[in-house]
Amino acid sequence: MPNPLISLLVAFAITLLAVWFFRPERGLFWRWQRSRRMTERVFEEDALKHIHQCEIHDRRPTVKSLAGSLNLSLDEIASLLEKLEARQLVAVDGANFHLTASGRAYALQIIRAHRLWERYLADATGFGEAEWHGQADLYEHELSPAEISRLAAQLGNPTHDPHGDPIPTARGEIVYRERIPLSSLEANKPARIVHIEDEPEAVYAQLVAEGLHVGMTVRVTESSSQRIRFWSGGDEHTLAPLIAANVGLELLPEEPREQDQLGERLTSLAPGEQGRVIGLTPRLRGAERRRLMDLGILPGTLIQNTMNSPSGNPAAYSVRGALIALRSAQADQIRILRENDES
Amino acid sequence: MTTQTTTPEDILQTAQALRWEVGSDFHEHLMESMYTEAARIADRAITRPEKKPRFDLDRTIDRLVTSRAFGFPLMLALLTLVFWLTIAGANVPSRWLSWLLLDTLQPILKGFGVTIGLPWWINGLLFDGMYLATAWVISVMLPPMAIFFPLFTLLEDYGYLPRVAFNLDNMFQKVGAHGKQALSMTMGFGCNAAGVVATRVIDSPRERLIAIITNNFALCNGRWPTQILIATLFIGGLVPAHLAGLLSAMSVVAIAVLGVLFSFLVSWGLSRTVLRGEVSTFSLELPPYRPPRIWQTIYTSVIDRTLIVLWRAIIFALPAGAIIWLSANITFGGISIAEYLINFLNPAGLLLGLNGVILVAYIVAIPANEIVIPTVLMLTVLVTGASGVGAGAGVMFELQSNAEMTALFQAGGWTLLTAVNLMLFSLLHNPCSTTIYTIYKETRSLKWTLISTLLPVFMGLAVTFFVAQVWRLIAGVL
Amino acid sequence: MTEQTLPKPTSTAAPCETCPVHNAAHLLKLGVDMGDADFVVALAGNPNTGKSTVFNALTGLRQHTGNWPGKTVTRAEGGFEYGNSRYKIVDLPGTYSLLATSLDEEIARDFILFGQPDVSVVVVDATRLERNLNLVLQVMEITNRVVVCLNLMDEVRRHKLTVDDRRLARDLGVPVVPTAARYGDGMDLLLQAIHDVASGATMGKPYRVRYESPALKHAVEQLVTQIEALYPNLPNARWVALRLLDGDEKIAEALQKGELGDLSHGDLAQRAAQMQVIGNQ
Repeated sequence: MPNPLISLLVAFAITLLAVWFFRPERGLFWRWQRSRRMTERVFEEDALKHIHQCEIHDRRPTVKSLAGSLNLSLDEIASLLEKLEARQLVAVDGANFHLTASGRAYALQIIRAHRLWERYLADATGFGEAEWHGQADLYEHELSPAEISRLAAQLGNPTHDPHGDPIPTARGEIVYRERIPLSSLEANKPARIVHIEDEPEAVYAQLVAEGLHVGMTVRVTESSSQRIRFWSGGDEHTLAPLIAANVGLELLPEEPREQDQLGERLTSLAPGEQGRVIGLTPRLRGAERRRLMDLGILPGTLIQNTMNSPSGNPAAYSVRGALIALRSAQADQIRILRENDES
Repeated sequence: MTTQTTTPEDILQTAQALRWEVGSDFHEHLMESMYTEAARIADRAITRPEKKPRFDLDRTIDRLVTSRAFGFPLMLALLTLVFWLTIAGANVPSRWLSWLLLDTLQPILKGFGVTIGLPWWINGLLFDGMYLATAWVISVMLPPMAIFFPLFTLLEDYGYLPRVAFNLDNMFQKVGAHGKQALSMTMGFGCNAAGVVATRVIDSPRERLIAIITNNFALCNGRWPTQILIATLFIGGLVPAHLAGLLSAMSVVAIAVLGVLFSFLVSWGLSRTVLRGEVSTFSLELPPYRPPRIWQTIYTSVIDRTLIVLWRAIIFALPAGAIIWLSANITFGGISIAEYLINFLNPAGLLLGLNGVILVAYIVAIPANEIVIPTVLMLTVLVTGASGVGAGAGVMFELQSNAEMTALFQAGGWTLLTAVNLMLFSLLHNPCSTTIYTIYKETRSLKWTLISTLLPVFMGLAVTFFVAQVWRLIAGVL
Repeated sequence: MTEQTLPKPTSTAAPCETCPVHNAAHLLKLGVDMGDADFVVALAGNPNTGKSTVFNALTGLRQHTGNWPGKTVTRAEGGFEYGNSRYKIVDLPGTYSLLATSLDEEIARDFILFGQPDVSVVVVDATRLERNLNLVLQVMEITNRVVVCLNLMDEVRRHKLTVDDRRLARDLGVPVVPTAARYGDGMDLLLQAIHDVASGATMGKPYRVRYESPALKHAVEQLVTQIEALYPNLPNARWVALRLLDGDEKIAEALQKGELGDLSHGDLAQRAAQMQVIGNQ
């Protein structure tokens, strides 16, 4: 029989080693997997994407901007550009370079893959929004055109990604909408969020933390060079202008109904109280949103808190003749107008 | 637009162009107008009573069964009642079945085999191996299931079980699971295969997988007898006779509770790692109470649940019986395959605080937990060469007298540590093959089936290893 | 009950009011062998409305039915005879809608759309009519041959409600039969209604919801004109237009292959494998 202390120590050491090796994200195994994926093709595709991005924003792509974006040395970029030119994807003219027609088509297909994958993550998986962009950056290089088309069909050929960016079609058609940055919206003009920029990561994380989503209506109450104060999704938010600039808006043609700003969370109803649903916030998405709509939780529906579970969460609500239990996290995303009992 | 030249392609192109215009949120407006129409038509057809009835029976029952004060006690009382009825009610038919199938029919069949001149090995393979294993599974498994499932189904049909899920959801929510897992788990105490099927009512993919993978931590019907026997022999023996019953009962309950804790722990871990990317939606409808139709329920639950599960168990028990018999009877150089295996696994077994016999028994008894103890006894006789007990190589048996059994185990080198670790390992090991098969049928995925199978084994190995080392350390110090 | 003798279904190509309309070729691909059945009936409904109980009452089978939403996971089939005709009945998965956002919904939707059952019976919970009618409206968008089974009338009485089934039938434009399937009440009337619709004795004129958003209306109208130009006899052009706008790839494919139009001439060979998979789920 081996010494128990020694066997415990050996087991402990093996466990530590396994953790070090397989630890999610930072484990040696995963790092090795990631580095294996970083092939020449990935750099080429990322370069095309970067040049395309510059063209859209009317900036001139330079070797330096490429080097910064791809995290490569200037020499490496130069040889990368040579290869791209040889494949007639990029036309180089001295220090200037731009995409050829086939280069643009290629870039659009990668963007299509990226945005479709984000849509897929948002609609058909349980990953949180903070993970979408990073995962899509990996998968955009791995999907074949056939796989992309199949994915698009499966998702119902979505027109926009979850951040509000249009998804190019298989033929490379793309329609960009006009949008106003939140930082320059006039006070008291109703608008709707149509785009949330997902880069840089830290800024996006802050916008996610604020609970802002594409599709929410916005009304600015105070706009100065120090801060933007605005109502959205039934809450008041305050952002620095630099951060607010990453939220793209579209002006609403008519005055939105009063309900768009007022209204309470469903969780504010005590047992026995009732209200009328104004809407579900865009935070409820994909399968979860459809499920609630299937159950008949839609604008105009009368909903009553019928009873709480012993712990208070979930609570059971009477909706259209049925008794449905909802967790607080869900009920928080349902906006209602309180109603008196006999009306 | 000329109608003559319209082609499907044209239509699809028009549609694509229009899609950029109408945007992607019209779907929701469409649903809205559907529901509005549905509500309008329904309102015209339904007349509700003038006044709200002063007494709404459903709501009154609901307030009671979900109240802070009575919700949990009522639930515990009902479940205890169900378990008590199952255990108490199954006792008599179980004994009767085992008398009929094992004590009476088996010798008759074997005698019959001899009469018609079957070679000894065919006779042994058929009646000592295959028949005996199957008969054992039936006599242990059938009576409790035939009582437990109808009772559970009655509660289900009445509409009480969704309220249990409602009461317990908060607890499950915290570990990333669904309240309905309480029910598949309870069902798992009857039978894990049935528990896995019961997860169908969880309509959220992530939570359903969690419920399937952790169902094995609910101590099933086939494992209770092992726990009770070992607790009675080894743990009850530690204290004076008048306390023995209480202590051994408490240790079995402690194991079951430990199983529940493990299932929470694993649920928590799974929902944050491998299952993070699965879709999660919570919805729980509390249907109106409906008076159950008792006879129909009993009929269908016996047909649907009991017999199907029993049938699967029989299909797996038959080859297992053959393997057990053959492994004890095929010899090389006078040593049977079983003994080779036992000798090979003994060092690992001892390191884990178990022994080779127990590990081999768990390997050959994958098909059904019910035959673990009979196999352990048979193998112990095989390796110790104890005389006067058992009915020969490869023939499973059980002893009536506790003293005899303790003596046999002690001859096999068992200690209190062996007993405790056997109880732990019985809780934490791979699901039986019926359950594994059911998991595959429900998930249609090799990956999840493998995870559900291997995860508990690894946990069992880790836990028994840890307990054994700490135990020996402390014993060394004392 | 008025017994009427039915003309035997014939295989002549001439349109006939009383002939079965189901598409045997599609049904086979959906996993339903018509065998010697004359008509095929699809049974749809929300989860937990007693759909399985209705199925059992019609066929005499005893599938377990629990008080749980979403019990029927696999598709059940059965048969019965009524008025000299043999019926095949297919119990579809319980769904809240037919938008094909889940596998269950897709199975149910495809069966009604491509299998073209002679009758689609929608079982509704009479005590929760508002929520259940949503599915009825959606089924009626696809097919005219609908019978609504207003189930759980025993619960309606227990809750002291009254449901005016005639008014409902008038508003919906299809037969509505009140039943309490658990006690076998109303099953004979349901059989009669199924028989009438299957044989063509009753022709439903289902009410169809009109959506009123200007942008959408414009888009739908434009598409409907084109679709109707291509397939003049399509009973559900509007629904097809909406599905196309929603990016439903399956409908787009069916449109391209001509399966939505003249259903008996569509080339199904390519889709056969796919449909088989769905049929086997």
